[in-house]
Amino acid sequence: MFNDFLRKMMGSSPKSDSKDVAKKRLKFALIYDKLEVSDDTLRCLHRDIVEVISRYFEIDQEAFKMDIRRSDELSALIVNTPILSAKRHISPTGQR
Amino acid sequence: MDGRIIVITSGKGGVGKTTATASIGAALALEGRRVAVVDMDIGLRNLDVVMGLENRIVFNVVDAVKGKCKLKQASIKDRRIENLYLIPASQSDNKNVLSPEEMVSFGEILRKEFDFVLMDCPAGIERGFENSVASADEAVVICAPEVSSVRDADRVIGLLYAKSITPKLVINRIIPEMVERGDMLNHIDVVDVLSIELIGLVPMDDQVIIATNTGNPLVLQKKSKAGEAFRRIALRLNGMTDLPIEVPQAEGHFWRKIGTKLGLGK
Ligand SMILES: Nc1ncnc2c1ncn2[C@@H]1O[C@H](COP(=O)(O)OP(=O)(O)O)[C@@H](O)[C@H]1O
Ligand SMILES: [Mg+2]
Repeated sequence: MFNDFLRKMMGSSPKSDSKDVAKKRLKFALIYDKLEVSDDTLRCLHRDIVEVISRYFEIDQEAFKMDIRRSDELSALIVNTPILSAKRHISPTGQR
Repeated sequence: MDGRIIVITSGKGGVGKTTATASIGAALALEGRRVAVVDMDIGLRNLDVVMGLENRIVFNVVDAVKGKCKLKQASIKDRRIENLYLIPASQSDNKNVLSPEEMVSFGEILRKEFDFVLMDCPAGIERGFENSVASADEAVVICAPEVSSVRDADRVIGLLYAKSITPKLVINRIIPEMVERGDMLNHIDVVDVLSIELIGLVPMDDQVIIATNTGNPLVLQKKSKAGEAFRRIALRLNGMTDLPIEVPQAEGHFWRKIGTKLGLGK
């Protein structure tokens, strides 16, 4: 505090504050690190989602796309699949 | 009463785990506790040279864990500091010769013999880390005030929580002049990011390298700021929990600035 005051008074060595940049980058890096999902997890999730959707719709499995998108504020799981047709007879358990 | 096993870890290499293990271990022994420091960096041993005990190694931690020798035979007694013992790493094996299960059993033997056991963890989060943490009751995470070190510390903290260990934080290699200038993360920033309990702040200190050169205990060095900081950390671990944490200060900063202002150079 007093040092800051002195420095200002004497007009010497302007504060460069690269540590504030460091802190900001760190905070984002840690958030990103924690959102990272292993390839195995993604493969399992992919398989399960395809299976669930397939109970209700005929889908083009080749064109099925799944992605995790991250922005500063939030991250989103985005699933995109062409539907070929709806299934007519759905048993209560979802099993065909 | 059974002793406490504390792992000293960081994720990243070169932040001061080995220096901290040697210094905190020595300081605890000076407080009259029976202390073993264990070099878990199998294949890359260093704690022995830092402590100046490299010429006295006969058996090592792998021998002791595998039952090829008695714990006593693998424990090198420090002749300068009463109650301080080093269990050195083996230099010829790799980290996979030991398993976490074996380390848990070894920990039970250590706990009976010593008040404090400090595990000097290798860098990384693989087998060497697993082995070092396996028997630990507590953990001290060493972190330097740099982006990469803090990030690795965060990762390690997560892994320790997953093992039901609540780690404590030591920030090492602080350069007060840079902190003052705003070019180094200060301890408040680091604690804010990592949100774990702080137990010590250690400045960058030439005495660390001088002590390592000669193999003399840093905590016996007079006028070593780092040595004093490690001693205070040991006191806190030994129960003096309300001992204030000193923030490293730049040397003679007031007059240096006046001098700079008057054009007397840096
Ligand atoms: N507070 C300090 N001041 C000066 N040098 C330090 C300090 N702490 C560690 N060092 C030096 O940094 C290097 C790495 O330290 P070391 O304890 O071997 O780290 P680690 O075991 O985490 O790899 C060594 O050369 C050591 O002397
Ligand atoms: Mg080391």
